[in-house]
Amino acid sequence: MKTLLIAALAGVSMLAINSAQAVERGGTLTFARYDDSNLVDPVYADRNPDIWMVTNLYDTLLRTKADGKTIVPGLASGYEVSADGKTISITLRDGIKFSDGSAITPADVKFSLERATNPDFGPWSGLLGSVESITATDNGVTLAMKNPDPTIISILATFNTAIVSKAAFDAAPGATDQEKATALFAPGTPVSGPFTLKDRSRGSTMTFSANPHYWRQGEDGKPLPYLDEVSFVVIPDDATRILKLQAGEVNGAEFVPFSRVAELKADPAINMELYPSTRIIYSPINSRETRADGSPNPMATKEARQALNYAINKDALVQLITHGTGKSMTSPLMASTTQLAHDGGPLYPYDVAKAKELAAASGLEGAEITLTTLAGSSDDATLFAAIQQMWGAIGVNVKVEQVDNPTRGAKNRSGEFDIHTYGWVNDVNDPAQVAGWLGYYPTRKAVGTGWNNAEFNSLFEASNTEIDPEKRSEQYKRMQEIYADAAPLLFLYETPFAVALSANVNGYLQTPLGNNEFSSAWIAK
Amino acid sequence: MSSLSYLVSRLLQIIPTFLLVMVVIFLLVRMLPGDPAIAMADAKATEAQLELIRQKLGLNEPLVMQFFYFVKNTLSGDMGTSILLKAPVLDVIIERIPVTAFLTLYAVCLSILIAGPLAFVAALNKNRGLDIAIRSGFQVGLSTPVFYIGLLLLTFLAASLRLFPVGGYGTTFLQHLHHLMLPALTVALYTSAIIMRNLRSAVIEVLDADYVQFARSKGLSRSVILGRHVLRNALISTVTLLGLSIGNLMSGTLVTETVFAVPGLGRLMLEAIFARDYPLIQGLTLTFAVMVSLVFLFTDMVQAWLDPRLRLS
Repeated sequence: MKTLLIAALAGVSMLAINSAQAVERGGTLTFARYDDSNLVDPVYADRNPDIWMVTNLYDTLLRTKADGKTIVPGLASGYEVSADGKTISITLRDGIKFSDGSAITPADVKFSLERATNPDFGPWSGLLGSVESITATDNGVTLAMKNPDPTIISILATFNTAIVSKAAFDAAPGATDQEKATALFAPGTPVSGPFTLKDRSRGSTMTFSANPHYWRQGEDGKPLPYLDEVSFVVIPDDATRILKLQAGEVNGAEFVPFSRVAELKADPAINMELYPSTRIIYSPINSRETRADGSPNPMATKEARQALNYAINKDALVQLITHGTGKSMTSPLMASTTQLAHDGGPLYPYDVAKAKELAAASGLEGAEITLTTLAGSSDDATLFAAIQQMWGAIGVNVKVEQVDNPTRGAKNRSGEFDIHTYGWVNDVNDPAQVAGWLGYYPTRKAVGTGWNNAEFNSLFEASNTEIDPEKRSEQYKRMQEIYADAAPLLFLYETPFAVALSANVNGYLQTPLGNNEFSSAWIAK
Repeated sequence: MSSLSYLVSRLLQIIPTFLLVMVVIFLLVRMLPGDPAIAMADAKATEAQLELIRQKLGLNEPLVMQFFYFVKNTLSGDMGTSILLKAPVLDVIIERIPVTAFLTLYAVCLSILIAGPLAFVAALNKNRGLDIAIRSGFQVGLSTPVFYIGLLLLTFLAASLRLFPVGGYGTTFLQHLHHLMLPALTVALYTSAIIMRNLRSAVIEVLDADYVQFARSKGLSRSVILGRHVLRNALISTVTLLGLSIGNLMSGTLVTETVFAVPGLGRLMLEAIFARDYPLIQGLTLTFAVMVSLVFLFTDMVQAWLDPRLRLS
């Protein structure tokens, strides 16, 4: 009996050891990317391959946890918001250093945040539009605000407010800030993030090496990162990227097509990860009274748009296009991973009878609608074929118009479309960006639909200065109700980020915003 | 006409070609649908940001002025700054020319190595089993899309048998040879099919020519006849074809460089087109035009060497 007990105890402790496998340090992780980074700088990063790499090189004052929602201290050990929300005092962590060993000072933070607020630099200054001035203090900075801003804490955990070295910028060659930033995207630049840039061959390879002065501790009580190096290779072709992983030439490959997920999941040498994302696939519906050519618009009423939404079998689309990896949207304004996303269950569950009733009532029956899709996109081709069939059931004829991405963008802006395909990933850990994009008319005519709702617009404006979290949450709940009811979009589905890793890679993360996080990644030897 | 003046006159002919290419590319790029500012900026960009891009690119200027600046800047060696890569177009192109040149030359060498001997074997065995087998084999190469051949080679020779790396370029000369073997072979399979057919018919034709019959009756050895008389004469039309197909080969790099992750001009061209990166598209097209013109010039020189009648006429 005693022996049995000992054996059982031993078994339990073995299990415990296995479940909390000790991290191993060292080694190089090679990662196949779909596109290269052209300029990794907090304020000039404007494409995803740039944006998603920023926080590997530059740390932010605050950080977002892996869930994409919770904010934790970063280079700042803490912050305090005054009762009126108009002063934010940030305290820097003691002993933090750039990769060259020099101290990260309040002057660096002031310099970095002033770059981030400068409307002449890069596309992101609007995110800090509420900041009046930045003052360096003995151990941090104080932000004086024009108005209370509930998003500011999230923005301080966002790539565009990451901390750069003032001394490096002062010394960099170049007449303008952008020229200096371009010159500094080179080996040897002191950085505040977990990695430094070791070398780079444009369009082909890039190597990060561990920053020896990085502050954050790993599970083993020593500073991160665990890896010595991360080596990136740019492989634009999906099939080649996967072959490269299967051949064992790389440890990871991003943007695995959903059609290949099941096959890679079945491969014991590969760990097929589906990271929750803020990515949504939707289609703006032209909601104006008339079409661009002046003819009456059959989608002008909310009943017509509701009918179109009810007539789509989202589960079928999730199976057909994402091969079961996606899910129907549950909030009309954002992915379910976004803060303040209201989960009202799947939106517009498939209901042909209701769709027919609404179509008849709104005069949609017999209408001809053009779906503008991306030429060469197999996802869009499948979507069109499915929608054509589904809407046939409610008497709506669908024509297809295939265009390239710039043309689709131009049509969205000019309103010369009926319905077109689109997608979105949040850049910021706050719903204001996506809600402003999809619903707030002054931003971009509610993603080009022309939908203009006074109550929504004023709620959105109020929510941008509401610092009581509960009240803001209520405002968002109401905005989502209004938006769902008005249905200026076809609410389609959410998709994850599909990344395939070798089975011995642990701790890698692609955040819901898309950021590639290598600081906690390690390779089991 | 001496060889030198022939070379000079051929070089001078490149200038009008070059100017014509500039006009065509300038207009073509501007005829593409879609606002380049929208393509270059993110969808999220505001109207003010779009306006800034248009100003930077001079898109608000009249077309004639845009063309004038384009010609003026290009002639002074300034091809502008790539919007996509945020770097001077000339720098980017100079970085990538060796890659595409290496790949193209490699593919040409491989196509000659594949097509040459097989064309002779096929011609000497005209309409017999071997000839038919060779010709049908190449027919498959001709009728299969380049990217498909590429993926097949990658799957079997690289990913399964691990004989070659899956994509990339490497850093040393030997690594380049190793990395580019499959992409070069992919392109070469297609080109060699065309060359083989042409060379085979040329050899058959030359074999029947009077001077070959005469050489035979003189009792010259078979190898001397094939090497000195048949090969040289059969090559004339094949060299022309090879020169023309190098132009094709370069356009083939758009697909192969993407499939094989080779950081060359072709892949860059594809990225530039998708991003509507005007300065980059213009710079790349001009580069391709110059490269193709130089290849044609070189082809003419080789032809003139093979066939003295061309030099003397």
